[in-house]
Amino acid sequence: MMEFSRRRLLQTGGLVGTALVTGGLAGTAFSRIAAAADDPLYAAAKKEGALTLYWGSYEQQTMEAIRDAFKAKYPGIEVNLLRQASQTVYTRLRMELQSGVHECDSLGTTNMLHYTELKKIGALAPFEPVDGVHIPDAFRNLDPDKMYHVGAISLTSINYAPGKVPSPPASWQALLEDQWQGKITTGSPAFSGDVANWVVAIRRKYGDDFLRAFGKQKPKVGQSNVDTVTDILAGERVVGSGAPFSYTLTQKAAGNPIDVVAPSDDAILNLGVTGILAKAPHPNAARLFTNFLYSTEVSMILQKNYWPTLRKDVPWAEGRSLDQLKWYRNTGDDLGPEVAEGIAKWKELVR
Amino acid sequence: MGVISTDSPDSAAARTARPVMARVPLARTVVFGAVALLLFLLVVLPFGWVLNNSFHDDLTGAWTLGNYARIFQSAELLEPLFNSLLLAVATAVIAVGIGVPLAWLVSRTDLPFRRTIRVLTLTAFVTPSFIGATGWILLAAPNSGWLNALWRTLAGAEAGPLLNIYSMTGAIFICGIYTVPYSFTMVSSALDEMAVELEDAAATLGSGTLRTMLSITIPLVTPAVIASFILSFIQGLTLFGVPAFLLTPTGIPVVTTKLAEFYQLFPPEIYMAAAYCMPLLLVTAMLFWMRRRILGRKQFVTISGKSRAGRRIALGAARWPAFGAALLLPLVSVFLPYAALLLVSLTRAWGQGLSWENLSLHWYWWALFGNSETHTAIVNSLLFSTLAATLCVMLGTVVAYIVERRLVFGASLFGAVTTVPIIIPGIVMSVGFFAAYTRAPLNLYGTPLLLVAAFAATFLPIAYAHGGSILKGIGPELERAARSLGAGEGRTFLSITIPLMGGGLLSGWFLVFIPIIRELSVAVFLITPKTNVMTTLIYNAKDGGNYEAVCAMSVLLLLITLALVAAAGPLTRLTTVRRTSRATARKTAPAEGVLPT
Repeated sequence: MMEFSRRRLLQTGGLVGTALVTGGLAGTAFSRIAAAADDPLYAAAKKEGALTLYWGSYEQQTMEAIRDAFKAKYPGIEVNLLRQASQTVYTRLRMELQSGVHECDSLGTTNMLHYTELKKIGALAPFEPVDGVHIPDAFRNLDPDKMYHVGAISLTSINYAPGKVPSPPASWQALLEDQWQGKITTGSPAFSGDVANWVVAIRRKYGDDFLRAFGKQKPKVGQSNVDTVTDILAGERVVGSGAPFSYTLTQKAAGNPIDVVAPSDDAILNLGVTGILAKAPHPNAARLFTNFLYSTEVSMILQKNYWPTLRKDVPWAEGRSLDQLKWYRNTGDDLGPEVAEGIAKWKELVR
Repeated sequence: MGVISTDSPDSAAARTARPVMARVPLARTVVFGAVALLLFLLVVLPFGWVLNNSFHDDLTGAWTLGNYARIFQSAELLEPLFNSLLLAVATAVIAVGIGVPLAWLVSRTDLPFRRTIRVLTLTAFVTPSFIGATGWILLAAPNSGWLNALWRTLAGAEAGPLLNIYSMTGAIFICGIYTVPYSFTMVSSALDEMAVELEDAAATLGSGTLRTMLSITIPLVTPAVIASFILSFIQGLTLFGVPAFLLTPTGIPVVTTKLAEFYQLFPPEIYMAAAYCMPLLLVTAMLFWMRRRILGRKQFVTISGKSRAGRRIALGAARWPAFGAALLLPLVSVFLPYAALLLVSLTRAWGQGLSWENLSLHWYWWALFGNSETHTAIVNSLLFSTLAATLCVMLGTVVAYIVERRLVFGASLFGAVTTVPIIIPGIVMSVGFFAAYTRAPLNLYGTPLLLVAAFAATFLPIAYAHGGSILKGIGPELERAARSLGAGEGRTFLSITIPLMGGGLLSGWFLVFIPIIRELSVAVFLITPKTNVMTTLIYNAKDGGNYEAVCAMSVLLLLITLALVAAAGPLTRLTTVRRTSRATARKTAPAEGVLPT
C-alpha cells in the first residue's frame, strides 16, 4: 500500500504537494530520498519560487545558517527571513491576519499558546513532515491534527562563573542557600518567555515558598535571561538562575569564562513550535522548509551552535543528549492563566 | 537687507503688473490642501487608529471604556506614570541646564575648539541611548563597573560602589546626557542667527559677560529653550532602552517598560497599550499650553534685516576653564562609554578581559562581510533616513511657517496635530501605521514608503518645533516688504524666509535624520525581510546576547553617521560663507533706509 502510493505520487508530479499532505505521508520511504532534485515537493516549491519565514526561535546567527543551508540545498527558492523576538513576530502575524494580509508561510516561535490560538481560528494548515520520524519521541505528534510541530528545544538551567564559584549550586533548591545571597542574576518573567516558563515550573514543583525565598536572595533581575550571561561575564553577579543553556555553552565555546549546570531537580524545557499558515502564499515551499528542519543538515547546524538537535540520531554538542539530562516541561491546556498568575506572584514576592 | 536686494526692482515691477490675485488663491489652496492631506495621512490616520484601538477590548474586540478605567483603578498602572513623569522632568532639566550654556559657549563666545565640541555633541546624539546605557553599565555597574573597580583600588576593596547605574539617578543621568544634543542644537541654531545689537547695548551700559548672557541673550532665545525643554521632556517619557536596562533591575516600572509588558502578554494587550499612552498626551498638551502662557505675545524677533551674529564674546581668562567644562558632556556621553564599547567590540570573547590574544577585528569583519543582512540594512537605513528626514523638514518647516505667521484660520490646529506623533511611544505608533496602511485603499504593506512615512511622521514634531523656534526669531518685516512688492506667499517663503532660516534648516535636517537612523520601535511591525534596517539587526544581536557584535555594529553606525555629518560640513560652511559675504556687502554698501528699523 505504501509502496503503491509512493509510486503513484512520483508519476503524477503535479499533484504531489497535495498528495504529500493527504497521503498521511509515506513514512520512512520518503525520508530516504537522497537527491533533492528528485523531490516532487521541491519541484512544486520551486515553482512557487519564494518562501517567507517569520521566526523568533533561535538567535539571528543560527537562523541565518539554517536559511543558508536551505538555499544551498534547494536553489531557486528565494528565502525572506523576518527574525524578531517571538512575541513581536506573533503580534505582527495576528495584526496581519486581522487586516487580511497573507505574507507569512512558516511561523516559528517559542510559545505553544500562539499555535493553539491560531489553530482555534483556523489559521494553520495541517502537514506531516516525512522526516518528522526522527524527532525525539517525547516531542513527536505535538498536535494530533498535525497543525504544528516542534521547531526548537530550549533548556533553562543554572549558569555560573567557574573562576569565582568553585562549587556551583547543583539544583534550584541550592540557589536558596545563604551563600548565594546578592550573587544571583536572572531575567524577568514579564519580559522573557523562558523565565515565565521557569516560574510556572518552579511554582508547580515548590509552590510560592520558593519564590518568596528566592526574593530574599536579592537577585538582580534583568529583562531577558540572556542578561544572566552578560552579568556573569562582566562580573556583576556570579550565578545565573533561569539561564539559557545553549547560549551559555556558545559563550563558553567562544572562550568566555562561564559554564552551565543542569539542575538535579530538572532543567526546565520549553519547546519552540512551528506551523504553516493556512493561507500561506507559498505552501509547498513552507512544507519543504518544515521537513528540512528535521534533516541531518539542520541538526548539524544546531549541534554546531550548541542547540539541542531535532533528531534522535544527531547528538548535541560535546556529546550531550536529552537522555543524559533530567528535565521537566510544563504541559497542560490552560498554561495561559498559569503564566499570568506566575508573573503576578513574581511581582509580589520577588520584587 | 542684503537679502532682498537680490531681487531686482524690474522683476518686482513686472510681477505687480501681472494679475496676482487671480493665481494666488489657487496656489494657496493647493499648498494648504497638500499640507493638510499630508498631515492627515502621516498623523491623523495612524493616530486615529491608535485612539480607536484604545476604546476596544483586547479579548473580545468590543467597544469599551474599560482600558481607561483600568489605568485609574490600578496602582500597578499608576505608579509607572508617576515614575515616567519624574524621569521626564529630570531629563528635561538636565538637557536644558547643560545644553543651553553649552550652546551659548559654542555659538557666541571665543571658546577654543568650538567646532570640535559641536561635532562631539552630535556624536552623543548619534548614539542610541540604549547603546549609551550599555556602555555605562560596563563603566558603573555596582560590582563590576570599571569606574567602581578603579574606586576600590583607591579606597580599598571593602569600599562600597562609588556609582550605581542601576538606579533612578542612573537612568536620569543617561537620559539627560543623551538628550542634551536636542537642546544644544535647537538653542545654538537660534543663537547663531541672532542679532548682536541688544548685547552690544548691554555691554555699553556696563553689563558683564555673564549678566548679558543671562539677561539678554538667553531670554531672546526663550522659544528655542522652551521648545527644547518640551522635546527633552517627551524624550524622557518615551525612551524605552534606558529604563529597560537600568530600571528593570531595581524594580522601578515606567510607562515604556509597562508597555513592553502589555506586548509580551499572551494574548498581547495592544489595545490596552494604546489607552495607556493617552495620559502622556494629556501631560504634553499641558506643557504646550504652558508654553503659550509663557511666550504669550512677547517678541523674540532678532533677525530683521539688521546686522547678524558674527562678533564673539571674549571669555578672557575663563576661556580654558570653560573649554574644560564644555568637554564634560562629550566625556561622559561619548569618550567613556565608547571607550568601553570599543574595547568590547575589539575582543574575540569579552569575558576573557583584555589581552593580546583576545584582541581581534573579528566582529567588525562579521558585521561588514560575514552577515548578508547587514549590507541591505545599511543601505536601507541610509536611504529611508535621508528620504524621511527631507520630507520631515520640508513639511515641518512649512507647517511652522503657516502656524507662526497664522496664514490660515485654525493654523494652531495644524501645529497641535503635527506634535502628536512624538508623544506616542514608537511601538504603539507602529501599530497605528500598520492598521492604517495594510488595508484598502492605501495598502502600502511591505513597501519602503510605509517606513519612510512612519519615520517622517514620528520626528515631524522635532522639525516643526525647530522650524518654529527659528521663525520666531525672524521678523516679519522682510516678508512684508516682499509681499508689498508683489511677491506671493509662496515666493516670499522661498526667497525670503528659507534663505534667512539658512543653516538652521540644515541643523534641523540632522536633528531629525540622526534620530531616524537610530530609531527602532516605530519600525518594529513595519519592516519586512526586504526593508530591514540597521537598528533591528543591532537589537537582534542584543536580544541574542551577542555583545561584541552589538558594540561593533554600534561603532560602525556611529562612524557612518559621523562620516555623513562630516560630508555635510562643506555645506554648512557654504551657508556660513554666504552669510559672511552678505555681511561684508552690507559694510561696503551701507543700507539706504529701504526698511524702517
